[in-house]
Amino acid sequence: MILTGLLIGAALGYVLQRSRFCVTGAFRDIYLSRSTRYFTPFMLAIAIQAVGVAALTSAGVLAPEAAPFAPLAVIGGGLIFGVGIILAGGCATGTYYRAGEGLIGSWVALVFYALFAAVMKFGPLGGFTEAARARTVGSATIQETLGVSVWVPTVVFAGLVAALVVWQVRRNAARSAGRSAVSLPARRTGIGHYLADIPWSPWVGGVLLGLIAILAWVASTAAGRNGGLGITTPSAKIVTFLSTGDVTLVDWSVMLVLGILVGSFIAAKLAGEFRWRVPDASTILRSAGGGVAMGVGAALAGGCTIGNSLVETSLFSYQGWVSLIAIILGTWGAAWFLLVRPQRAAASNRPAPVLTPAA
Amino acid sequence: MAAYTLETNGAVCPFPLIDAKNAMEQLTTGDDLIIGFDCTQATDSLPQWAAEAGHDVVAFDRAGEAGWTITVRKGA
Repeated sequence: MILTGLLIGAALGYVLQRSRFCVTGAFRDIYLSRSTRYFTPFMLAIAIQAVGVAALTSAGVLAPEAAPFAPLAVIGGGLIFGVGIILAGGCATGTYYRAGEGLIGSWVALVFYALFAAVMKFGPLGGFTEAARARTVGSATIQETLGVSVWVPTVVFAGLVAALVVWQVRRNAARSAGRSAVSLPARRTGIGHYLADIPWSPWVGGVLLGLIAILAWVASTAAGRNGGLGITTPSAKIVTFLSTGDVTLVDWSVMLVLGILVGSFIAAKLAGEFRWRVPDASTILRSAGGGVAMGVGAALAGGCTIGNSLVETSLFSYQGWVSLIAIILGTWGAAWFLLVRPQRAAASNRPAPVLTPAA
Repeated sequence: MAAYTLETNGAVCPFPLIDAKNAMEQLTTGDDLIIGFDCTQATDSLPQWAAEAGHDVVAFDRAGEAGWTITVRKGA
């Protein structure tokens, strides 16, 4: 039954690759270019999953348990993770699917992320992580604090997101006023044109991400793992399995993350977008440092942009929403430090773009 | 009406976009900027930026596996 993880992971990798969905970019660009082009579709994915999971819980199919809230670990971990994903140029899921596209820098980030997640969860710093995450306060979820049904935050949030979607669609229509972004010439016809040629819009990506997240809950529960999409713990499990041979670590979630690599590779290969791409030394070093911060941050916060920002948020847990805000603030701080400040000081450690007259 | 090339191959997003914006500031209206890039996300962000900033895209095509080139003409 754990093989359903591989299929759902592959679907996830395929969708993310085709829709160029980047949660890091979604958070970063709110600040960097005042754009919610990917952020609103990401909120839509949370809302779709929240409605689906609440319905399946009411029907008795699922019994999700929100993580208890450990404020210091969640805020600290979220900030560290946010900085890490700017350094690495992609969040945990983003790093998996870019690795599937052949980016060597993403493989470097992935290895260090998985290694340090294992160090923090199963390795020498396991005690520290456990102690930090044991300092919990109050209730785990918003509905527990308010003493209401999960449907109250679900309906309120879904309404807010619906309004946000309508606003963004209208604004885009008004702004573009006949001008739309130019797309690449078609290479395939028929169904192949839609599946493996044209990029999918962020809206398509967000809706499919929300639906896959619901499916993940059902399939994972059927395989004996009570949980939805998750990236950090399985990444740590892979490292620990490879170094100890403990086969009990290989569960549904491990299949899921391996599936992301497979799905994104297939999508990229079919669309002519796979190639081994080797970055320069400074990008590799940044990716490695980013991977370390991602592993440490996600272990402390109890999840990454998927486990916390997409899944825990849909359960309306404090861990989910507080870490979402902390991750966003971390990406903004790092974006200022690494992208905005060097520009302003005109003293970037990257060489200035070289322009040559075209022949 | 000069044309300039900007090679960003190997740079990951958002650097191709940041470099393109910087390069565009050095050009005058009507000049072409030919940007080579191999970051997949830039297939979305570069044409999107051109449309929003009022530049014309005069050419946009693939350049081999996982490589692209876009020619952006500076708007008024």
